[in-house]
Amino acid sequence: MLKKISISKISELAAALMDKGLLLAPVKEISGHNFVEIKDPKQVDLDFHNTIASPKAAFFPHKEDFIKYETGKPIDTASVVALNLPPTFLFGARPCDVKSFGIMDIHFIASGIVDPFWKQRREAAVIFGYAFDLEKPAQPEEFYQTLGIGAADPEGSDIFMVKKGGDLLLNSVTPKGEKILTELKILNEGKAADKKYYDEYIKKGKEYKTRSMCLEPGAITKKLEDLFQNTDFWNRVSSACISCGVCTFVCPTCYCFDICDDTLFGHGTRRRVWDACMFTDFTLEASGHNPRTHVYQRLRQKINHKYSYHVRKYGVISCVGCGRCTKYCPVNIDIYSIIEDAMKA
Amino acid sequence: MINKNPYIPVPVEITKIIDEVDTRDIKTFRLVFLNKDDEANFKYLPGQFAELSIYGKGESPIGIASSPTEQGYVEFTVMRMGAVVPGTVTSALHDLDEGAKIGIRGPLGNSWPIEFLEKKNIVVVGGGFAFTTLRSLINYMLHKDNRKRFGDITVIYGARNPGLLLYKDELADWEKRDDIKSIITVDKGDEAWQGREGFVPAVCKEVAPSPKNSVALICGPPVMIKFTLPVFFELGFSKENILTSLEMRMKCGIGKCGRCNVGYKYVCSDGPVFSLGELDELPRDF
Repeated sequence: MLKKISISKISELAAALMDKGLLLAPVKEISGHNFVEIKDPKQVDLDFHNTIASPKAAFFPHKEDFIKYETGKPIDTASVVALNLPPTFLFGARPCDVKSFGIMDIHFIASGIVDPFWKQRREAAVIFGYAFDLEKPAQPEEFYQTLGIGAADPEGSDIFMVKKGGDLLLNSVTPKGEKILTELKILNEGKAADKKYYDEYIKKGKEYKTRSMCLEPGAITKKLEDLFQNTDFWNRVSSACISCGVCTFVCPTCYCFDICDDTLFGHGTRRRVWDACMFTDFTLEASGHNPRTHVYQRLRQKINHKYSYHVRKYGVISCVGCGRCTKYCPVNIDIYSIIEDAMKA
Repeated sequence: MINKNPYIPVPVEITKIIDEVDTRDIKTFRLVFLNKDDEANFKYLPGQFAELSIYGKGESPIGIASSPTEQGYVEFTVMRMGAVVPGTVTSALHDLDEGAKIGIRGPLGNSWPIEFLEKKNIVVVGGGFAFTTLRSLINYMLHKDNRKRFGDITVIYGARNPGLLLYKDELADWEKRDDIKSIITVDKGDEAWQGREGFVPAVCKEVAPSPKNSVALICGPPVMIKFTLPVFFELGFSKENILTSLEMRMKCGIGKCGRCNVGYKYVCSDGPVFSLGELDELPRDF
């Protein structure tokens, strides 16, 4: 089902979605765009390349409260936090970011014990994927083509959106998406010419160039296993790293978290919060032993996790080539170059 | 799993606290479930662990020290940490009295591979504090319903001095039994000590357990492991027949939080028990 709306009427579409539930959409902030819970439909701004932070927080918020309690009160008076999620519309996620949700699903839902928070948030969400603008070049740090992800790849979205001049085309990908499109009366029917444009756009997206190298998951996994003991290599690629962890926070596939207790004036919350393997105390044990005291060990862990351990454990590379880690790294560490170097080493 | 939501602990009461060592920094806590359903759901095997939970302080992953053959409670032997890093939860736990209520989440992790151990001779080697889940296994194997399932049981357990030996009453019981060979050693005895003196690796060499149809389970401080392993290799034990239990910093305990990985394995959900053969496949990152 193909529908369309004039981009000048985006705020009306936003208002219609807000009537149905929670809308998370790109908003222009001081230093760039980010996904924000929309309070005013006029905030939604589709004039962006990609957001600073990935949209993973839609399903894996920075803070996820587990339990509320009062300090000093009996343990059985503590209460489990219920999510009670409204329908959530993630509007305008780029194809590489949408791909990350599937990778995270393997970890949080399909393997071992199910993470109830990720699962519930995923189930409550309708994803409006949004093709990159093929008229504009990719940003230099992006490399999703390397990972087989197209700039207009609808896979993983419920509804996929393509810009056509002053219009936005919305095509349903899943039954969930089709249901929503049917319900949104503000949308117009797409014409045959729109359908043709949409189909060609998707096809053209496959040719869209980002940085690209031939990367076979088995080969890079093996290469990194062989390189593990090569301290010179890891010292060289990590020498500038200041362990700030920004790469992990903006990353759509980094999922490390801490579970902590936060108490204030007798009110307590046990929650999970994002954490990062780049931090010095991430693996510091109570005994004082820390297997990763050196920065090279931590960067090695991060690269290996994405390109080796994840492949061994789940069969897929845990990176979508969005390039955020490189773009926002304060010391210009480039994961693409590290992988390229590793393949050549 | 104890709860539909794996992050939510269930309540238990501390019914007994035993001071294990002279330094008074290791205590065994006996916990009784407040709800029968929670107790029924907490089905564990020796070698597993659980997250002990104190609201306002946090959670700590601790090996289960009791044996599943002991009914009605579960025990944990906990060292008060804090010399290097805060040790918030263990300190808070040590400050509690009998009757206090805390939370528990588990059982977690794999276990000593009971089926693999059946019909084999078992050599248990422990050093210092790292004896808790081994104690669980020994008591499990010694139970009248289970003893026939295992071959000879040899225990070599050492501590720096007599005051630091855990489970002293049980050690004395084992020495009296004829279905377990128990060798207790201390690095240095005191005036009252009439037992053996000597480091664990040297004692292992002297006892020289036969590798024939045998499995060695070795837990202890890194330096003990370092010098004990060559002894067992020399005796002819293969890497597949030497097992240990790893420690890494943990949070979730269910393979989700990404903290305790060694290579592609999570110690909390793929371990904590690994054979040396399995560890050889993993990068040295622990």
